[in-house]
Amino acid sequence: MRDFFTVFHYELKTQLTKKTAIVTTVILMVVMLLITSLPRIISLFDSGEVTQEGLAFIQDAGYVLPGGETEALLVSLLGEEPQRFDSRDALVQALQENGLEVGFVIQANLDYEAIYMDRSLEDSQDQQMAALLSQIKRQQLITRMGLTPGDFAAIEAAQVQGETTVLGRNSINNYAISFILMLTVYMMVLLYGNSVSTIIAREKDSRTMEILITSTRPSSLILGKVAAAGLSAVVQFGAVLLAAVAGYQLNRHLYPEIITAMLSGTLTASYVWSYLFFSFFGFILYLFLYAALGSTVSKMEDLGSATALVQFLFILGYFLATLAANMPSGTLAVISSIIPFTSIMVMPLRSAVITVPWGELILAGALMLLFVVFFAFLSIKIYRWGSLNYGNKTKLSRIVREALRSR
Amino acid sequence: MQLMINNISKGFGDKEVLHNVSFTVTSGRAMGFLGRNGAGKSTTIRCLMDVFRPDSGDFLLDGRPFKPRSLKIGYLPEERGMYQKNEVLAQLMYFARLRGASKADALKSANHWVDYFGLGDYKKKKLEVLSKGNQQKIQIAQSFLNEPDILILDEPFSGLDPVNARVFQDAISDFVKEGRLVIFSSHQMSYVEDVCDDVTLIHEGRILLSGDLDKIRREEGQNKLFLSVLSADETWERDLKAAFPTLLISPADDGLILDTQGTLTQGEIMAWLGRKGLVLRRFGLYEPSLNDIFIQKAGD
Repeated sequence: MRDFFTVFHYELKTQLTKKTAIVTTVILMVVMLLITSLPRIISLFDSGEVTQEGLAFIQDAGYVLPGGETEALLVSLLGEEPQRFDSRDALVQALQENGLEVGFVIQANLDYEAIYMDRSLEDSQDQQMAALLSQIKRQQLITRMGLTPGDFAAIEAAQVQGETTVLGRNSINNYAISFILMLTVYMMVLLYGNSVSTIIAREKDSRTMEILITSTRPSSLILGKVAAAGLSAVVQFGAVLLAAVAGYQLNRHLYPEIITAMLSGTLTASYVWSYLFFSFFGFILYLFLYAALGSTVSKMEDLGSATALVQFLFILGYFLATLAANMPSGTLAVISSIIPFTSIMVMPLRSAVITVPWGELILAGALMLLFVVFFAFLSIKIYRWGSLNYGNKTKLSRIVREALRSR
Repeated sequence: MQLMINNISKGFGDKEVLHNVSFTVTSGRAMGFLGRNGAGKSTTIRCLMDVFRPDSGDFLLDGRPFKPRSLKIGYLPEERGMYQKNEVLAQLMYFARLRGASKADALKSANHWVDYFGLGDYKKKKLEVLSKGNQQKIQIAQSFLNEPDILILDEPFSGLDPVNARVFQDAISDFVKEGRLVIFSSHQMSYVEDVCDDVTLIHEGRILLSGDLDKIRREEGQNKLFLSVLSADETWERDLKAAFPTLLISPADDGLILDTQGTLTQGEIMAWLGRKGLVLRRFGLYEPSLNDIFIQKAGD
């Protein structure tokens, strides 16, 4: 136990006092403060002007209009005098040469063609025009049916009062926050998993490993390193999370109501427990996997290919979690929330959006603990195996077999 | 203390590397472990340090099983390495603590050995900024941490310049004088001759000889004479062979080694040389150097 703490203390100090770690943490904290202060930053630049009604916000647009009553109605709704063109060709030429963004050719029956010079992802003038023309057409139809514009407005404004009560989890509110927390775990595993495997591979590459394993037991070394990586991850991400919470609390009153509802809706005790348990032990499980794989390489340049398998496994868990958010009670979601390699992300997400049966929670929790213990044991064995084997690449299956057979 | 290496065999796959390796190391007497490249020195040492598990045989310290992690051992592996990106003193303290020292003792010991090897100015530096030679000294210093009772060094002199080798030799000699158990492997025979009381020679995984260096020298020189003659014609060597048919003659640096096989006395040969009127540069008992013994025993 004494050696475990010696390794833990040394590795933790090394990780936390690294210049790169400190600088990265500070930068992430500042970025997080800025992101959570966005509502305040936006309010500083907000002039307070209300967006003009109608389609005046369709800027730099040209029109080929049908004439008559329809044209008069359209002009009145556009809110300003439109740039008119006599024909489609003239409009196209103007788009190509005069810097117009969009053009509309509108027929008498209100069918239309939208013509863009270049269309970006944000451009939706065609949809806005479609909405406007549909509204006009409805209005014309209602008038023909003998109703007045007042009747039409009353029909449009007709609403019912409704109230929704959710007894279990509200997926709509819970999805966002649980997804953010899942991303935190995702980043922690990838960053610190790679960090652990790099530390061990470097020890092997630099031949420090032989001094270490002749000085203390491999179990003290692996457990100490994994615990140190785990705690430094918690410290670093805790600092970033703290900056996020501080930024949010300082600017809470400026956030739209829907976001504050989203952020406060999920943090029920059962979700928090599920998140903490599966994220923590899943994180530790992956650290052991990364540690084991770091021990199998002799050269640093082989580390990427050695850890590819576990990276793939973890990314698969991430995709299954995103699928589970849509179908939290589906067979795939249930199975992947029980298997430890994927339950790290799937189970907290399911817990956020539905009430997971106790049986599934207990089974997944027990399997997670078993896997952590088994892979801790296996990573110690592989670390010991790795200290004796340099040079030739060996298949992972053979490494596991030989490692388990050794003392 | 007495460390017995007892019938150790070890193979890797189909290749048998050690064949019933046995020898004894006694505290207060430095043991030089000699052999050519690939002879099995490092494998023996790694088995001793529990890095490899031998296929058969055992290691006994004063008759009890040798458990390296439960003893105060300083170990310098052949392929040495330390943390390049960490501070010198901090990592030496770490290694000392892993070997059981308290924080205060670890600090004291690390400081002492860094100063001993003249690297006091580099304590707070990262290892990677030190020259290769200085890095080597730090690696040697780590093996002396905590003043170990047993010192096991694999090729410690390789890469050291003569001045630093002398400093290191002195440190080993001090340890031996204090009654500690010291074993080191080496190619450099001169260092072994200077430091060691006992030697063990391994060749192709088998022990060829082991014991007191002076005694080995005497035994290897038994019935042998060294003869060096000045300004002689080319026929005297043939005449000598004709005069003493049982005499085995082999060339050596600046002379000949005469193996009498116990059938002749030094006086008989001396009388013949006198009769021939040869001018002698040197004639007397042959005392082989360790290098001679090494080449004779382990040479192809």
